[in-house]
Parts: sequence; structure tokens; C-alpha cells
Amino acid sequence: MTDVTPLLLLWGTLVGVDLVSVSQIMIARPVVAGTVAGLILGDPMAGGTVGVILELFALDMLPVGASRYPDYGLGAVAAAATAAGAPGVLGTGVAVLVGLVIAALGGSAMQWVRRANGADVSRSLPALAAGQRRALAALQVRGILRDAGRAFVLTALGLVLAALAARWPLVGLRGAVMLTVVAVGAALGIAAAGAMRLAGRGFDLRWFVLGLLAGAGWVALP
Amino acid sequence: MKPGLLSSLLRTFVVQAAWNHERMIGVGVAHAMEPLLRDLPGGRGGEAYASALERAGQFFNAHPYLAGAAVGAVARAEHEGVAPEQVRRLRGALAGPLGSVGDKLVWAGALPVASGVGLTVAAAVSPTVGAVAFLVLYNLAHLALRTWSLTAGWRWGTSIARALSAPGVQWSMRVAGPLAGLAVGVAIPVVSAWLVEELHPGARLGVAIVAAAAVVVARWLAPAFGGVRFGIAVLVLTLVLGLVWR
Repeated sequence: MTDVTPLLLLWGTLVGVDLVSVSQIMIARPVVAGTVAGLILGDPMAGGTVGVILELFALDMLPVGASRYPDYGLGAVAAAATAAGAPGVLGTGVAVLVGLVIAALGGSAMQWVRRANGADVSRSLPALAAGQRRALAALQVRGILRDAGRAFVLTALGLVLAALAARWPLVGLRGAVMLTVVAVGAALGIAAAGAMRLAGRGFDLRWFVLGLLAGAGWVALP
Repeated sequence: MKPGLLSSLLRTFVVQAAWNHERMIGVGVAHAMEPLLRDLPGGRGGEAYASALERAGQFFNAHPYLAGAAVGAVARAEHEGVAPEQVRRLRGALAGPLGSVGDKLVWAGALPVASGVGLTVAAAVSPTVGAVAFLVLYNLAHLALRTWSLTAGWRWGTSIARALSAPGVQWSMRVAGPLAGLAVGVAIPVVSAWLVEELHPGARLGVAIVAAAAVVVARWLAPAFGGVRFGIAVLVLTLVLGLVWR
């Protein structure tokens, strides 16, 4: 992993700022962030698998403006780094745990960025009251840099956790399979519960049930 | 095309860069509006420009993709010489509708639709193709919405509410929810079959039991005990079990 570490740090930083600050083209969604991290690591299937599992977790919540939500994109980069190279499904469960921890930390760190932005705005009040365009641009740039710093540090932390998990595997074969079973089950359950909770906010429960039946039918086809 | 419109559109991509609890996206909205205000009487050094920019930077919140509608409409109002108090009222009146329309169209519509399609394609074809499908599908809606909102705001000015109640917008809001439900519904069984492919039957039963428990716990305890907390809690518990039962 060492030779691709700079590339992973760059990717993680881009993923982190995409969540709120810059563009929101949704490279921050785990299905994208995890798959690309997997491609960088030379194991797109491992990255894609943990990306899909974390995407299911991400369906639990709408990223509505002022709400607090986990940074699943950063989590997916860390999870892909943990899962890459592990045989079969053995690395998946531990990787999802690492990914969820980083996602939770990423969401909390976002609050720090928002408070720091607020303090920055307070310091710039005279310039804002005078309608100075340079003050606006400077606030924007500093906001992006704060968020990029948050994303960079958390990506680095995720890579450290991934390296520790690879060096000192805490569980044996049975434990690794159990972790994967729990990670997959929890992700599917959380996605289904999230979909049901979205009903009434534009999301239509009847069409969700119809989709479930259609998907089940597709799976049942020989 | 109005000079500065393209520059303003590009700046809407960073409308949340200085997001904070005091002004929310107010600073970003003023930054995006600035190119449209440069040709106010007196130019950049004029009083009209400075006072319009000061008003633009006040508290404001809306869906980030639809914030362009406020940017365009308020800039147009400033050019038409609308009284400052009326401009403030226009901003206040736009925040709620632009937030709720955006939430319905994007967060409860385009995003789950693209996510569901991306997940299904990832399971049925490959994760790489799934990620590409997600990005393409989502950003077709995203880019169209950002461009439409800014140009509609500039075109309609203080009458921007008419653009938001246009038949196309209303129809999109009606179909977004059902499509999102359908896409996520199809994805769950297809993805679950793909994820358990390599597991033996006993482990598959374990997945089903954990999934059922997750639905119950998430429905019962959400939002206090959301997905990420539930996931960490059950995985740490399993990790401890795995350590003991080696």
C-alpha cells in the first residue's frame, strides 16, 4: 500500500471536500469512493464490495443541509484500504468496521469545520458589512482549506487503521466470517429501515415494496 | 447571455464552502452572486455594488443545487432597483421553498434513484460499472438542476415562484419519490444475493437474522441510534466475541 499512499491521500481529500464544500458531484458516495480506492489499490472488487456495503448504510439518512451525517466517503476509502488484498470475504467485516468508525469521526469533524467557519465569519464582519468581495472570496477559500484538512487527516487515520488491521489481525477465520455476516446483515437491514423511514418525505413506500418484489423476482430467475 | 452568468454558475459549485451555523450558505450565495452585480451603476467601486453584496452575504439557506435560483433572482432584483427591504423579503421568502423542493427532488429523489441503480448495476455487472452508472445518472440531474435554477432565477427575477410552480418542476416532484422507492427496492434483493454469494447457508441465515434485527432496532431507535452507531455497536460486539471464541 505504501507506494499508492499519496494517491489514496489525494483521493480521500477530494472525496471529503465533495461531501459539502466543493461541487457535490457525489464522488463522496461510498459506492464511488470505495470502488475508486480499490482501483488505486489494485483490488477493485474488494473496494467495490465494501463501497456497496457502506452505500447501503448511507441510505439510512438524507444529507440535508444543517443535519449531522456521517462521512461515508472517507469511511469507504479507509474500508477499501483495509479490505484490499484480503482473501475472499475475510477482510470485509473488519474493513466495514474501520469504515464506519472513520465515517462517524468524519461527521463529527464536520461540526468543527462549521464552528471554525462561523468564527471566521465573525472576525470578518466589518469587511462583510462594507460589501468587500475579497473578504467573501477569502472566507470561501479558508472554508475549503479547513474541510480539505479535515478530509486529509481522516484519510491518513483510516490508512493507519488499515495498516494496523493488516499487521495485527485481531480475529481468526471464524471471527472474520462472523464480522462479515454481521456487516452485511446490518447494512441490508439499515438500508431497508432507512427506505421505510423516508416514506412520507417524497419517497413512496408502495413503489419500494413493488421494487423489492421485482428485485426478488430477478434474483429468483435461473 | 448575461455577462457573469457562467462565472456565477461555476461559483454555485462552492456555495457551501464557508457553511456555518450563523449564516449557513449566505457567504457562498454572495460569492456566487458577485459576478452578476459587477455592472450595477458605479461598477465594482460603486455604492450599489457594495450594498447589494452586503445584503447578499446575510443569513440564507436553501438546497445547494437550487441556491442558484436565489442568486439569479436577487441579482436581477438588484439590477431592477428593487428597494433593499423588498430584496430582503424576497430572500426570506425563497429560502423555504428552495429547500423543500430541492430536498424532494434531490435528497429524496435523484440521490436514492441513482444510488439504487448504481447498487443494482454494481451487483449485476461490476462495482466499477455501478460507480460509473451512479455518477452519470446522478450528475445528469444535478448539472441540469444547477444550470436551470440560476438561469430561471435571472430570467424570472422577483417572479421566480412562477418558475418553481411550472408543470415540469411539479411533475418531477411527483415522480421522484416513486422512482426512488422503486430503485432502492430493486437494489436490496439484488445486492443481498450478490453479497452472500460466497457465504455458506448457515452464514446466509445469520445475515438474514442480523438484517431483521437491524430493521427492528433502526425503526425503533432512529434517529438517536442511527445506522452508523448501530453498525459500530454490533461489529464491536462481534469483534469481542471473535476475540474470545478463537
